[in-house]
Amino acid sequence: MAGSGTIQLRDDDDIVLRVENLVVEFPVGRHQVVHAVSDLSFDVRRGETLGIVGESGCGKSTTARAIVQIPRPTSGTVVLDPGSDREAELTALHGESLREVRPRLQMIFQDPISSLNPRRFVRDIVAEGLAIWQKDHSGPHSQARIDEVLEAVGIDPEVAATRRPHEFSGGQCQRISIARAVALDPEILVCDEPVSALDVSVQAQILNILEDMKQRYGLTLLFISHDLSVVRNVSDRVVVMYLGKICEIGAADTLYSSPAHPYTRVLLASAPEPAPTVDPSDAAIGDEIPSPINPPSGCRFRTRGPRATDLCAAEEPQVQQLGEDHFVACHFPTLG
Amino acid sequence: MNGTVNGQPLLSVTDLRVGFATQRGLVRAVDGVSFDLFAGKTLGIVGESGSGKSVTAKTLMNLLPSYARVEGSVMFDGRDVRELAAQKEKHFWGVEMTMIFQDPMTSLNPVKKVGEQIAESLRVHLGRSRKEARDEAGDLLETVGIPEARKRLSQYPHELSGGLRQRVVIAMALACSPRLLIADEPTTALDVTVQKHILDLLDELREERGMAMILITHDLGVVKGRTDDIMVMYAGRTMEQADTATLFSTMRHPYTEALLETIPRIDMPSHTRLVPIPGRPPDLIDIAPGCPFAPRCRYSVDACVVECPSLEGHGTAHVCACHKPVGTEAGIAARAANEQQGTTPTGLDMGLFEGAGSRSGTGAGN
Repeated sequence: MAGSGTIQLRDDDDIVLRVENLVVEFPVGRHQVVHAVSDLSFDVRRGETLGIVGESGCGKSTTARAIVQIPRPTSGTVVLDPGSDREAELTALHGESLREVRPRLQMIFQDPISSLNPRRFVRDIVAEGLAIWQKDHSGPHSQARIDEVLEAVGIDPEVAATRRPHEFSGGQCQRISIARAVALDPEILVCDEPVSALDVSVQAQILNILEDMKQRYGLTLLFISHDLSVVRNVSDRVVVMYLGKICEIGAADTLYSSPAHPYTRVLLASAPEPAPTVDPSDAAIGDEIPSPINPPSGCRFRTRGPRATDLCAAEEPQVQQLGEDHFVACHFPTLG
Repeated sequence: MNGTVNGQPLLSVTDLRVGFATQRGLVRAVDGVSFDLFAGKTLGIVGESGSGKSVTAKTLMNLLPSYARVEGSVMFDGRDVRELAAQKEKHFWGVEMTMIFQDPMTSLNPVKKVGEQIAESLRVHLGRSRKEARDEAGDLLETVGIPEARKRLSQYPHELSGGLRQRVVIAMALACSPRLLIADEPTTALDVTVQKHILDLLDELREERGMAMILITHDLGVVKGRTDDIMVMYAGRTMEQADTATLFSTMRHPYTEALLETIPRIDMPSHTRLVPIPGRPPDLIDIAPGCPFAPRCRYSVDACVVECPSLEGHGTAHVCACHKPVGTEAGIAARAANEQQGTTPTGLDMGLFEGAGSRSGTGAGN
């Protein structure tokens, strides 16, 4: 895995988010540091869904939070609309100027119930963003917008006016979270494990709604999940992360049909119904992730990698290109 | 099911009903469930939250609160389990029948070393001395594949990763060599790589020890390769029950089909439109007379709203509770009629399934 480099960044006019050399570290105890995200670079094209997948502790949620600047990354840049007149480098903004950019980046979370204020009416929760950002928030234009987003996610706006979150099911609360995020007409919607807390029958409803919202409002999605099948279903492009580093990035179907990084192969072979493109024996690795306080030298995946050599310990692999939209950070990728 | 293996089933549950009295009325959490389980076999119980799968397990383990109303019979190797509960038998649960839970953190005592926690049941149930129990606990940790097992004995749960904690919980459950292990969502809180290791470990241990196992999950993928029989539950009832191969090759219940179709599969190309299961599970207090799945079902006809179908046989050891089973002439005709009409008798808009129903009608696995 482990790799660094920026070759996977695309030279494209229509990039809506560019993350470059992102580093997030947390101090712990006596001069020790958790290396949560180390030198991560990727970009997202307008209208695209980028999936980020990996085990717990790989830094996928930390990446999402660093992008929305809660908390701010240790170093690196996060640029919205690079090259356009709306370009904003989030890590350089502070105070009011950062606050003004926030409506362009909205987020939904894993636990739909705890992310809604239990004491407020659902309609007011959805309206709050507009109340903050639009002077005529009680005017007919705003009211129509609230009705529209609630209807788009399948919640009756009249019912929402008189009920509080606990009167809705988990799936409905996640719809409300989506409506709240979309009300401000964001460019990017960051979804951190949005279906992990939901029943399987509700999961498909939410995934379909996210697809519909993407079409309807021209959203760009950053979709974080540990579930490989869900990530493939929603994503155009997928990043596989391990211990704060990028392993593999590429078009979703390419990455799943010809996984090149040994860690991607491990994940695909470990799924309850393993992907047909990998050998079941690919799953045979230890299940202990090394500490992010003292990550292994060289390639961070080498301690679990089935084919690791001295080179892997000595030198960190750089991201290299395998195909048109397929990049891997490994000294010994599986080709073919 | 599976009636050929050495005569008597190890566990035999007949017409189990569990209700909870609440201010709003009686919640019928389990409503007439029956199954047999033979030694050395694995039964998968599949269903969503609220389907009654965990309550069924807790009933077997005598873990229900005292206000629960239980009816029906549970026989374990000729012994009446509900009778044992009434007599407050101490050396049955945790010895003959044990259970592991979803969250390994809350199953362990955070202020006690893991060695002591494993040794406790050996001392209480089997009367081992402190030293014997500690040695055996070390052996058990080795059995469940924990590296440096002896050293771990004196560690606290918070010092272990989620995967190791679940292995400790399994070691505790195995301490007294149970004949039945109930695993309730044992891997839901774990990463996919760890999940595979834990499920493989449970399977190996079952094989080695000839244990019977009940594997409870919401994920049909998890039970597919790892069970002998599967029971699909919905609203406290058994919807379909069959041996695993039969269930996946010729599923009969619309709910089983819907569950399988609603989950994205890893080999599906990206942006494949998913088939949702519209609506949500029914309220278990005022249960309508018809089939509980009828309001969400593509195959429903007028009779489904009026009369609850009983479990009927479809070939050997395959039962299903449905008036219009999937893949039968009646089922195909009912679905076609609903599609033509655009709506089902319960008012479900068939348009919800459009663009998604094109995949194989029986939802058979690969």
